[in-house]
Amino acid sequence: MRLLIIEDEKRLAENIAQALREAGFAVDHAADGITGAHMAVQDIFDAIILDLMLPGKSGKRVLTELRQTKSRTPVLVLTALEGKETIVDLLNSGADDYLAKPFDLGELLARVKALIRRAKGVSSTIIQVADMEIDTVRQTVKRRGQEIDLSPMEYRILQYLSYRPRAIVSKQELLEHLYDFEWEHHSNVIEAHISNLRRKLNLQGTEPLIETLRHRGYRLSEEASS
Amino acid sequence: MNKGSSITRRLITAVLLLEGLAAVLLIVAVIVNEHQDEYSAFDANLRASANAFLGAVQEAEDSSPNIGLDLRRIPRTPHAIYQVTDGEGHILGTEGPVPQLTIEPDSFRRVKIHGHSYRFFALDGERVVDPGTPSAVVHQVHILYGQPDGRVWHEIWEATRFFMVATAILLGVTAVLLVWMIRRLLAPIHVLASEADKVNSVHWSFTAPEVAMHLVELRPLASAIERTVNRLQSSFEQQKRFTRDAAHELKTDLAIVKSSLQLLTMKERSVEEYGKGLDIALEDFTRLEETVQQMLTLARLEQPADALAPRCALHQVLQDNVTQSASFASLKKVILTASPVTPVFVPVDARDAALLCSNLIVNALQHSPDHGMVEIALRSDGTTATLTIRDHGEGIAEEDRPHLFEPFYRGDPSRSRKSGGTGLGLSICKAICDRAGGSIEIDNHQAGGAIVTVKLPVSNPEA
Repeated sequence: MRLLIIEDEKRLAENIAQALREAGFAVDHAADGITGAHMAVQDIFDAIILDLMLPGKSGKRVLTELRQTKSRTPVLVLTALEGKETIVDLLNSGADDYLAKPFDLGELLARVKALIRRAKGVSSTIIQVADMEIDTVRQTVKRRGQEIDLSPMEYRILQYLSYRPRAIVSKQELLEHLYDFEWEHHSNVIEAHISNLRRKLNLQGTEPLIETLRHRGYRLSEEASS
Repeated sequence: MNKGSSITRRLITAVLLLEGLAAVLLIVAVIVNEHQDEYSAFDANLRASANAFLGAVQEAEDSSPNIGLDLRRIPRTPHAIYQVTDGEGHILGTEGPVPQLTIEPDSFRRVKIHGHSYRFFALDGERVVDPGTPSAVVHQVHILYGQPDGRVWHEIWEATRFFMVATAILLGVTAVLLVWMIRRLLAPIHVLASEADKVNSVHWSFTAPEVAMHLVELRPLASAIERTVNRLQSSFEQQKRFTRDAAHELKTDLAIVKSSLQLLTMKERSVEEYGKGLDIALEDFTRLEETVQQMLTLARLEQPADALAPRCALHQVLQDNVTQSASFASLKKVILTASPVTPVFVPVDARDAALLCSNLIVNALQHSPDHGMVEIALRSDGTTATLTIRDHGEGIAEEDRPHLFEPFYRGDPSRSRKSGGTGLGLSICKAICDRAGGSIEIDNHQAGGAIVTVKLPVSNPEA
């Protein structure tokens, strides 16, 4: 999952970014409203964390403009402003959630995860695909009750695919959503991770879960157990 | 409402007093006039009666050359007193208690008889017996005639009574009208008051009511209230904005500190990671402390000044700060020059002066490009010390100019908090200058860069 932080306070953005990266997200940062708005409209983020008081362009304007482009990316607003009106106003402008500063980093993580789950149409923290079970809180994967040890990147790819079962997910999409701009990446990293993932998931007597469609992408199939 | 301080009451009292005084004077004038009229009529009557007595003096019935009084031709007047005497003092006729009087002939005199006021007239005449004959005898006749004049006073009273009653009624009617009219006339004051009463910290709009603005006397008051409310509103808004911005600033700094520490606790880390994290958290904490410190400084500076006038040698403070800033300047590869530095004393606390100098120098250094130059000069013309600090940076944007001294205002938004500083530096500088009765201005130099001009009054070094 890839997140965008639009926050002018550098130290705060650094802390949030680090916490999110440690939680397995790819994170990009914009330090002002104009850059933030530019980045937000590219449909590559799974959630946006938006500060209200931004130089260049206010957080509220960024939000309004984002919603005008019909973007459905969930937005969590960080605010240091008091008052019910601002909150009501924000939610009406298209914010999905808000947190008042100074906030709890753990709460921020939980809310961001919940926003992404909801946006992907999943309400539970445990995703079930065929005979595989993904616990998004503990970040563990089980197949037929047997725990499978995955690297963080492998887990992220699997989780991303599991949010879109049966859909074909292109390599480009995976790259966009799983790596941020700071990451040195090559297009073949995905292939390597998928290959490892397939190998680890392939237990004795089971069908392969991940299909590769040449030049098109990958698909997580649900009928694997049959 | 306090009785003693009611304008309505005072106005009514004043007008009624004047009306009453006018009425009394008028009545007195009428009485005096009536008195004169009545008395001249009365006197004419006395004179006529006396003349009638003179006419009644005739030759005596007998053939003597004496004279007598023939009363048959005299109309009888009740209470009349008279005495007719001839030249030898013989009384020709008398009636009533004639008082012993000596009155100049042909004049009037008032006399009290038995408690009644009488007015007497004395007439001297001659009576010639057998005129035109050689035996004609001239007789001197003295007539004293008097009548009670109480009736005259009665007449005067009768004539003026109606007038007095009418005046009293008029006075009453005008008093009622006056109360009503003054209430009506003063209504705009009440309208103005109730409009002013609506102003509170939430509802600031005050528009002077039309009725009040129409009145020449109320217009200055109404517009004064309007101006005061506007001034209050803007200073209230400023305070509110400051509180809001301060809260935002503190919350942001707190959020950083909190998140830095929470980040450390999110998972097991190595000792080095913890150490580094704590260092960063401490740094964040220092900035929070700085923000609080600066807010307190600003709050202190905005308090009224102490009775004891401070004083410091601005040239020394400036030199010290230039020396202290040298390392920061060399780090930024900026040349820092201070010339001329005229020795001058200003009524500023030494610590505040140092704060002023260091804030302005650091500010100039921050806005200087690498290999730039910051020129400082301190001049004095004996009454005003002028400190100028010029950098060769990008200068100030026109739209920032009115806000530069506002707390938490950051000129270049894209630089934001990263360049350090809480956004209170210039506000503190302004507060220091204001407190000393000086001024501070920022302008763009014609040759590029910003120039800060601080003007402070010079204080006497011996004082």
